[in-house]
This record gives sequence, C-alpha cells and structure tokens, in this order.
Amino acid sequence: MSKGEPLGVVGVFASSQPMVEAARQLHALGVEAVEAYTPYPVEAFGEHVRASRPSALPWIMAAGALVGAFCGYFIQYWDEWINYPLNVGGRPYNSWPAFTVGAFEVTLLFAVAAGFFGLWFACRLPRLYDPRLEAEVFDRASTDRFVLRVEAGASNVPREKIRRVFEQHGAEQIVEVAA
Amino acid sequence: MTLAANAPRSAPVVEPGVTMRSLSEEVSGRLLSARPPLWWWVGFGWAVALLLVLIVAVTNLFVTGIGIWGVNIPVAWGLAIAEYVWWIALASGGTIVSALFHVTRSPWRSATNRIAETMLLSAAACAGIMPILHLGRPGLFYWLFPYSTVMGVWPQVRSPLWWDFVCLLCYILMSIMYYYVGLVPDVATVRDLAQTRSKKVFYGVLAMGWRGSARHWRKHKTVYAIMSAIMAPMVISVHSVVGLDFAGGLTPGWHSTQFPPYFFFGAVISGTALVVMLTILVRWGYSLQDVITDYHLNALAKLVLVGSVMLGYAYLFEAWGPIYGSSAADKTEFASRIFGFTARAYWGKIALNILIPQLLWLPAIRRSKAALFLICAGIIVGMWLERYIIVVSSLHRNHMPSYWGVYYPTAWDWSILAGSIGLFLTMFFTLLRIVPIVAMSEVREIIDKGEPP
Repeated sequence: MSKGEPLGVVGVFASSQPMVEAARQLHALGVEAVEAYTPYPVEAFGEHVRASRPSALPWIMAAGALVGAFCGYFIQYWDEWINYPLNVGGRPYNSWPAFTVGAFEVTLLFAVAAGFFGLWFACRLPRLYDPRLEAEVFDRASTDRFVLRVEAGASNVPREKIRRVFEQHGAEQIVEVAA
Repeated sequence: MTLAANAPRSAPVVEPGVTMRSLSEEVSGRLLSARPPLWWWVGFGWAVALLLVLIVAVTNLFVTGIGIWGVNIPVAWGLAIAEYVWWIALASGGTIVSALFHVTRSPWRSATNRIAETMLLSAAACAGIMPILHLGRPGLFYWLFPYSTVMGVWPQVRSPLWWDFVCLLCYILMSIMYYYVGLVPDVATVRDLAQTRSKKVFYGVLAMGWRGSARHWRKHKTVYAIMSAIMAPMVISVHSVVGLDFAGGLTPGWHSTQFPPYFFFGAVISGTALVVMLTILVRWGYSLQDVITDYHLNALAKLVLVGSVMLGYAYLFEAWGPIYGSSAADKTEFASRIFGFTARAYWGKIALNILIPQLLWLPAIRRSKAALFLICAGIIVGMWLERYIIVVSSLHRNHMPSYWGVYYPTAWDWSILAGSIGLFLTMFFTLLRIVPIVAMSEVREIIDKGEPP
C-alpha cells in the first residue's frame, strides 16, 4: 500500500468483452473486490468473475406469494363464514371454489410486491448519494461505458499492477478514486 | 439465453449505425429538450380537449344521474360496460406484448415494451373509471372493499363482479410496480445525461440512485424475469374474470365456458393492434426508425394476425353453440345478433377483426406502415363493436319475449367514449414527455453484442 489516503483504481472500457477479460485476469491475480458498473446487465461478468451465490429474492417472492394466498383466502373466509354469513343460493359459507379467484389475484399481487420492495431493499436503494461513486467516470456507466472498480486495500496486489491489467485490455481511462 | 443470441439474421433488430451513446442521447434527448415538438402539442391539445368532454360528461352524470344515458331495463348495461371491457382489453394487450415476450426473450420486445406498458397504464385508468361511472351511485364504490364499516355490511365475494374488482385493483398495482422496475435503469441514464438542475433532481429521485453495478443488475434481472412470468398469467386471469362478469349470469349468449378465452383472444388482438398504432406514431414522431425497425413492426403485425385467427375461432364457437344446441333463447338471441338489431355491428366486427386482418398474411402489407396502421385502427373499432354486441345483443333478447327491448346510446353515452379516449391520450402524451419511451438498457444488450470486442 502506498502512503496517504487509500485509493481505489477505476478502469473505463468501451465494450463489455475487454472489461470481462480484465476482471477475469484481476480475479486470477487474487483481487477479489472488483465491481462492474455497466449500462446493461453483462451476464459474463457474474458468471466468470464472482462465485455467484444464488439470490434470495426468488424465495422472498415465493414467501410473498404464500402470505398473499393466505391473506387473500382468509379475508374471504372470515368475511363469508365468521363475520357476515350470507346464504347465496344455498352455497356453503366457505365456498372455496369461488374464493380461489380472489385468493389467486392477491397471491400474485403479494409476490410481485415482495419482489418490488425486496429488490430495492436488497440493492440498498434509494441511495441518492454515494461518496464512493462520486467520480465523473461513473456517470457514463449508465450510457455507454463499462467501468471496473477495484476497492482500495482489498488485496495485496499493488495499484500499479492493477493499472497494467487495465491497460493491457485497452482501458480508455484509468483513474484513482478515494476509498 | 441472451437477447442477442435470439436476434434474427434476416433483418436488423437495431440498425447498424446505432451506438449505445447515440441511442441513449436520442431517447433521453426527447425528455431533456426544453420544448416538445409541434406534433406533441397538437396531439396533447386534442387529448386535453377530449378530456374536457369527459369532465363535462362525468359532472353531468354525477349531478343528474345515470338517466342521461340510454340504458334502461332490459338493456341496463350500455356503453360504459362495453367500454370497460374494451379498455381493459387494450391494457391487457400491453402486458401481453411486454411480459409474455420478455419470458420468451424475443428481441423485438425490447424496443417496443415501454410503449406497450405506457399504453397499458393509460388504458387501465380509462378501464378503471368505467364501472364506477356505471354504478349509478358512484360515491359508494368503496363498498367493494372488504373493510369494517360502521354498518357492518360486507361484500358478497362469490360474485364475479367482486372478483373483477379485486383483479382490476391487483392488476393496476402490479402493472405500476412492473413498469417502475423496468424503468429505473433507463431513468438513471436520463439523470446522468441531464443538464439542468431541475431535471437532474427529478430524474435523480426517480432513479433512486441506480448506478448499474453488477450486483444490482443481477438482482434486477432475477426479479424482473419472475415478475414477467407472473404478469403473463395474471393478465390471462384478469381478462378471464372480465368474461365471467358476463358469463356468471344466465343471459343467452353469455357462455361461461366460452367467454374467458374469448375475451382473452380479444385482448391479444386489440391490445397488440393499439401497440402497433402507437409504435408507428411514436417511431415517426421521435424519429426512432433505427431502433424500432421494420423487424419490430413485422413481428407485431404477425401477433395481430395470430390474435385475429384466435378470435375467428372464438367467433365460430360463438355461432356453433346456438346452432348446435337446443336452447330456443340462444337461437333467438343469436338470430337477432347476426340479422336483427345488432346485425350491422356484427358483420362490421367480422369484417374488421377477422376478414381484413387476413391481409397481414402478405409481407407487403406488413411492411406498409399505412396499411398496417389502418388495419389496426379497424381492429380497435371492430373490437369496440364486439364489446357493444356482447353487452347489448344478449340483454335485448333475454329469455322472456315480454322482457325484450332495444338500446340507443345518447349523446352523453358517446361523450363518455370520446372523453375516455381523451383521458387515455392525455396520460399517454404526458408520459411520453416524462419516461424514456425505449427500454434503452435492453436495446444496448443487442447493440453491444453486435460490435467486435
């Protein structure tokens, strides 16, 4: 580590392929804390670079669906049998075939809502200000540039070596940013 | 499976000249320019004029009552219910184009899904007001909610009308969430390209700090895919329940086995037809010819054709029941439907929804924007006729001859139709100025894969 404030190294690439290659090489060198900022989801980055742990979000959505199924059915059951029993054409108070429709819709609503709120929670959003991403290079990651960021102090690999990997893969711009 | 891997070889999904930069600037530029183009003002002006018609019509309806319409016993459901079904079908078509074809990873979906979803939200709002206007005592619509009133009265949840209320509520909420999840990465692009302070703040808050990190993308992709897989069956259930609103009764012609798929087929064709019309207009207005290519319109036109063939099957089945069955009421009602009171509307819908769309088998017709636009406009009209027939024809020839009658819409009925179109267009034109109308992040995937590394 060099003296002073710890600096992270950021490389900007014009295309996804060299970015993935650079990340792969850094990974081979033992640099673990690499994060990519890309204008579209680059599947190859996740596949090759990070040992991907399956996301919990599908299970959260499934749990939402179960809760929705229970709530959607229960409110009808409670309404029609316990709270306000109403004889409609001699049908049983717990007319489950008729209740499945409402329960189904609420099931799907809760599943989608669980995914919606779960996604933002898992991404720690909203986060309107992030000091680690203040450098101007990150702004183009939402348009047309693929940005690799190596966190400071994440490994023993010296910054110069990281820079060289970026250069080898044709990074357009290499900057060092705080933290 | 990636989008680029699914891209066809025959026609470009994105014209070769488009880069990620030009795409982002082109789409965001429409929102960031200080002044909208002239066509936008013209369209928006007409839309607001029609919206004023709606405001006047609804005010009169609320003050005077439902007697200003032509509805009466026996035809107690009039244009409001027909238009409810019409609008919800148009909305459903937006979900079908967007969600179903995200599940299949069809590359043509990426440039058109935002138009489809924007259309869906605008149409769902129009659908949502129709049953309330029709209630007669619209202030009491909240009685449908299962909540504890001081009167201790609760809804009767075995009724398809209540199912429909739940469906519509869930559908609109889910559509908004689905829309927003897809929108966030594109809004982040607009935020980063914005120059003025107010736009930076507006889109910054809307984007919630999305930076496109690989971690976030992976979660986003997972959730968005599952949401799409949920939205597709959801929309089928919504439209089936709309069909059950009718089929739950014993009225001749409202067939409980036939109606759910029949209504869904109608949603496929009419919703897709409206997506085609709006896509052609937006593509022309925003000069998006290099992102929304002939390939997209060709694919959408084929989907319209599929919808037309499916609907043709439903029409055959609709005729088969009364002809093959032994119910005198069904036969009488069907005879009046095709030769009697609604004959012109019936043959009109056959021509507009089934016969004329068969022209789409010809590649030359699919390539011609004008022909495609006119055929789709015809389908929208034809589907309106279909809803009108479903509502009016069955009610005007019910089981007992002493209970027969006719229905003529009044000027106020028509002004609700005109006004709801105004509401739709006002919402669509407003959203056109606020949201990026092309899902840029998805189109970038196709662009980047096209470049040599």
